[in-house]
Amino acid sequence: MARPNDFCGRTRREFLWQSGCGFAGTALAGMLGDDFFASQTVAADGRTPFQNPLAPKEPHHEPDATACIFLFMYGGPSHIDTFDYKPDMIGRDNQTVKVRTFGRGGHKNEGRIVEPRWKFQQYGESGKWVSELFPNVAKNVDDIAFLHSLTADSPIHGSALLMMNSGRILSGSPCLGSWLNYGLGSVNENLPGFVVMLDPRGGPISGPKNWSSGFMPATYQATVMRSKGEPILDLKPPADLSQSAQRELLNSLRDYNEEHLAQRADNSNLAARIASYELAFKMQQHAPEAVDLAQETQATQKMYGLDNPTTETFGRQCLMARRLVERGVRFVQIYSGGNHNDANWDAHGDLEYNHNLHAAETDRPIHALLTDLKQRGLLGKTIVVWGGEFGRQPTAEYAKGTGRDHNSYGFTMWMSGGGIKGGTSYGQTDELGAAAVENELHVKHLHATILQQMGLDPNRLTYFFSGLDQKLVGVEGAQPIWDIIQSA
Amino acid sequence: MLQRRDNHLGRVWCLLASGIVGGLLLATWTGIQTIAAEDAEASPQPEAADLAYFESDVLPILSQQCFRCHSGAEPKGGLDLTVRAHLIKGGDSGPAVDLDDPAASLLLEAVNYESYEMPPTGKLAPKQIATLTDWVKRGLPMPDHVEIADEGHGEPQVNETTKNHWAFRPVEQPPVPQPSAADWVANPIDAFVLARLEEAGIEPNPPADRGTLVRRLYYDLLGLPPTPEQVRAFVEDDSPDAWERLVEELLDSPHYGEHWGRYWLDLVRYAESNSFERDNPKPFVWKYRDYVIRSFNDDKPYDRFLMEQIAGDELDEVTPETIIATGFYRLGLWDDEPADPLLAFYDGLDDIVTTTSQGFLGLSMNCCRCHSHKLDPLPQADYYRFLAFFRNVKHYGVRSDESVREASIRSIASPEEQQRFQAELEAYNARVQELRGQLDAIEATIEPKLKGGERDDFKRDSQRQRVIRKHIGDLITRKAFKEYAAIRKEWTDLRNHPPRSASQALCVKENGVDCPPTHVLLRGNPHVPGDVVEPAFPEVLTAPAPQIVPPAHGESSGRRRALAEWITSPENPLAARVMVNRIWQWHFGRGLVRTPNNFGLQGERPTHPLLLDWLAAEFVNRGWSIKAMHRLILHSNTYRMSSQGREEPLAADPQNNLLWRFDMRRLRAEEIRDSILAVNGSLTLEKMYGPSIYVKIPEAVLAGQSRPGQGWGETPLPDRNRRSVYIHIKRSLPVPILAAFDSADTDFTCPVRFATTQPTQALGMLNSDFLNEQAAEFAAYLTKQVPDGDRRKQVRLALQRTMQRPATDAETDRGVELIGQLQSEHGLSEEAALKYFCLMALNLNEFVYLD
Repeated sequence: MARPNDFCGRTRREFLWQSGCGFAGTALAGMLGDDFFASQTVAADGRTPFQNPLAPKEPHHEPDATACIFLFMYGGPSHIDTFDYKPDMIGRDNQTVKVRTFGRGGHKNEGRIVEPRWKFQQYGESGKWVSELFPNVAKNVDDIAFLHSLTADSPIHGSALLMMNSGRILSGSPCLGSWLNYGLGSVNENLPGFVVMLDPRGGPISGPKNWSSGFMPATYQATVMRSKGEPILDLKPPADLSQSAQRELLNSLRDYNEEHLAQRADNSNLAARIASYELAFKMQQHAPEAVDLAQETQATQKMYGLDNPTTETFGRQCLMARRLVERGVRFVQIYSGGNHNDANWDAHGDLEYNHNLHAAETDRPIHALLTDLKQRGLLGKTIVVWGGEFGRQPTAEYAKGTGRDHNSYGFTMWMSGGGIKGGTSYGQTDELGAAAVENELHVKHLHATILQQMGLDPNRLTYFFSGLDQKLVGVEGAQPIWDIIQSA
Repeated sequence: MLQRRDNHLGRVWCLLASGIVGGLLLATWTGIQTIAAEDAEASPQPEAADLAYFESDVLPILSQQCFRCHSGAEPKGGLDLTVRAHLIKGGDSGPAVDLDDPAASLLLEAVNYESYEMPPTGKLAPKQIATLTDWVKRGLPMPDHVEIADEGHGEPQVNETTKNHWAFRPVEQPPVPQPSAADWVANPIDAFVLARLEEAGIEPNPPADRGTLVRRLYYDLLGLPPTPEQVRAFVEDDSPDAWERLVEELLDSPHYGEHWGRYWLDLVRYAESNSFERDNPKPFVWKYRDYVIRSFNDDKPYDRFLMEQIAGDELDEVTPETIIATGFYRLGLWDDEPADPLLAFYDGLDDIVTTTSQGFLGLSMNCCRCHSHKLDPLPQADYYRFLAFFRNVKHYGVRSDESVREASIRSIASPEEQQRFQAELEAYNARVQELRGQLDAIEATIEPKLKGGERDDFKRDSQRQRVIRKHIGDLITRKAFKEYAAIRKEWTDLRNHPPRSASQALCVKENGVDCPPTHVLLRGNPHVPGDVVEPAFPEVLTAPAPQIVPPAHGESSGRRRALAEWITSPENPLAARVMVNRIWQWHFGRGLVRTPNNFGLQGERPTHPLLLDWLAAEFVNRGWSIKAMHRLILHSNTYRMSSQGREEPLAADPQNNLLWRFDMRRLRAEEIRDSILAVNGSLTLEKMYGPSIYVKIPEAVLAGQSRPGQGWGETPLPDRNRRSVYIHIKRSLPVPILAAFDSADTDFTCPVRFATTQPTQALGMLNSDFLNEQAAEFAAYLTKQVPDGDRRKQVRLALQRTMQRPATDAETDRGVELIGQLQSEHGLSEEAALKYFCLMALNLNEFVYLD
């Protein structure tokens, strides 16, 4: 039985037991056992055979989902122009209203309404209102749960990105994908368990901090994969070294290393390092195959929009994501938008220009991804998440124009697949979409829901660091959003 | 955090990631409400089946979701859910259950988020709500009182028992034991180690051979491989003091500080940029890095070293060096655009409290920011009393570069330099004034002739050139406008680049002598201040009251000096213990205490408590000299044991807790890069100190930045091949080869690095541009050293340089064979084949692992 007042206060042994009760014992011992706590810098116990720290582990409970694809709309898409229908705003363009907002322009108490610039219509059996920015995604609404009442702690890109990815506004904590790999391991040792794909225009603000393993070992950080050229950094041997020549080199290396090991047979790290070269060699063969889109039919390629320069990049990334998930990758994150300003969804200037551009790039690929996953029977086991680090304000940022400032008081994200109830909408913002007013959610509830669906108890998945049992959802914990979970 | 709608009780909890008071209680919490059992409705005796139902269905929900707050001596809202009578009688808000009208029970309203919203972490699962509803409807079957395991739960208290915790007791130097195998004992360290081994019936390993020892020592003290000549010189030196002389030689090497300073930099979260959107470089931060390297090289007494970093600006004699030392305060994260500036201010102080308490005292004081420490006898007030020492420290800056200069930079110029600078400044001011006068004169001829909106625009200086340009031809000639624009450009440039003294330092600054009050912040929330506290040391350490005397210069409060004096006083039970443990860790790969930043109740106990205390006392007795501790350790037989495994002790003590052998270790990230450059002859070793360098980062990695390449420069050779400690540390752009091999995370104090083994490391070591360039460099080096092209000689030399021992014939044969095969079977040129042999050599386990 859990003790009261212990959310932050388990002893080390209890911690091992609690986080380990569902995990495979030996794998955990290898990962977090005495050698982890006692001697991180030195050899392990000398007896434990090589354990891949990413070896698959038992979840806390039977998972609904085995993988997650997070479509990160970097910059912050406007919820009232996409999925959060606000009919009361129609006809009120340019009206000055009293409304509390907080964005990069600071706190304001009134503003000039910018009426949603796109028409909405109803789709699916659920009759969900979707704007004409997403005519294709709209066809999937019956598989989607819309979360209209998200809030975050910061309306500033840097800290808000960190919060959406790692649960905290300060850098240094592990990201969602790191937590999933720490908790579940990876079922395909030839591929990374946590993959990030970036927009060709650049990364998000703070770059690698958004896919860092923070205070956890580097084992759990993301691998950046590219949709063209060499998919993973340093995956390809130099041009003049054929595969067989490299094998020759590795055989020789292994001979030296085994001779060295023979005198030091009790040091499992040496054996592990030998094994890691064999794994690397296998990754060189398997990773390119995993992302070889030429193996897909013309019809599939077309469905994802690979035939159109506007949708090609995001389409390739979505198709890669499906192939990676099929091969056991736990967590794939794709950024729509990079760099700054209109190179991402950060529509401070011309809202229409900005959102037309980014929606056009992503609408068809996302529709294809959801549809393709469903057709292949993968959607049931794969959570797809859509959203940015925050939404946008109902009012104009400047005296002129349609640009909207950031809004973390209320915004929309959506989830699909992986045991999430389709055709539902949860929570509401006010009639302007300025702030969440019903069933208010925090980013940590989204995180808790993803962990829950993937078989991890968000309040039990802990990592001891700096004197505390750290959690993705914060020391106080958070509940999953039960109302959108099928099995709840 | 967004302090809004605080009238909306159910929301308040989510103001802080680390937690705020649960909604039920914020407004109504008034302390404990005592309910005598006889006052409550008499409980019917529950049936066994009902009790089983309670235990299997209800209790798990209550324990996981409710008891954390609603139990114990001070249940939240006065509502203790472990006692049936309390549930019926209720807490401050009235009865929690209504047995006559179960549906109207407050408990059920709360879990349905209808009035109160419980638990505050989010609504329970529908099944859980249904269970609780059913439970109430069934008449609340449960024992009168639910027994919770560990009734005495709750945070450890400050009392005689906790004050007596081994690390909190004063250090007393224990007598040196007398083990029976006295001839093995070179100094007291050996006596302590051997005494434990004899107790356990384990023999210590024999000494390592001289080749192993010389390699171990070079890496240990310098982080660099010995050259073949250096190895030979020691191996062939059979004089009795050869070892001691080598120890002295290496301790005197300037490269010692580059290696040992890096350990310290891990501990103080050293980085050279601020993180967040701009991740701007920290001005002059490298001077702190150089200060650390020099302090190690000079064997600065550790107490002095800490004094300078904590209070270098408050000492009797303040020097440029002691100012630079306080850069310690400025090494952390800085969000220049925080959503909640007050919270950001306290996050900044928390970073300082965390680093100071964990780094210098081995106490995780950061854990009692929001509530009393759950594992250590550190009440929440202790955190704020400790924070009070730093309360007057200026925040790093407020958005602009200018604000950073104001808050965190000061001149450290000598009087002569200052004079020269003054002259420069006066000349600058004169020129700026002259230019402004010229601009004013021209503008004065234009302004009266403007009309309408242009008159308004013209009031803003930044708009004037734009307005004037429109009047070329009517109010101003093209030529005159060009002159005007040129003057304005020079004026603007000068204004943007005022002269700055070259001698400046990143440092701490306070807001004068008087400190604002320090409040305990309820649940850590800066918007909910509680009682005022005064600076004081943690109560459990039985410390005297701090003696605070503001320094004569009147720029600061003197609080930090009082803190520094207490930390470095010989009576402080933690500072010396914590540091000798680190010194031990940095020699042996792990400390006598395995949790070097946590000497609290839940930290690991020392494997050799007497040895630790003996060393701590010795450290103080020897004037806090770190090099004296090196000598002690390095002269011991304990240090010189072989790392060889033996069957019996492996079975009895597989973790080597008793130190029957020396532990093997993998090189650290910096050592790996430095060694690659060292063995192929391209390491630029002679140049030390100064602004940091940029190594090449692959474009594919730069592509992850929001502005690819921003904030990363290019340093030409040979400087690019300087030691890794001089590489610019940009928080959002880790250098791949260093990050791959577990360089320190820079956002928190890093006491122990990971040593992971993963295939991505192998990919980088085989395929990266850096490794392939260095392998080619290595091949060129071999070709130059063995000009006759004798392949065996080249292979032998390469192996000798990478393994720092002569290669055997078989090993040489294998290398020669690889080169031959690559040429004959795989069609590689002689040059390419030699290069790939070199690449193979740089991947050897023996290259990156030390015996």
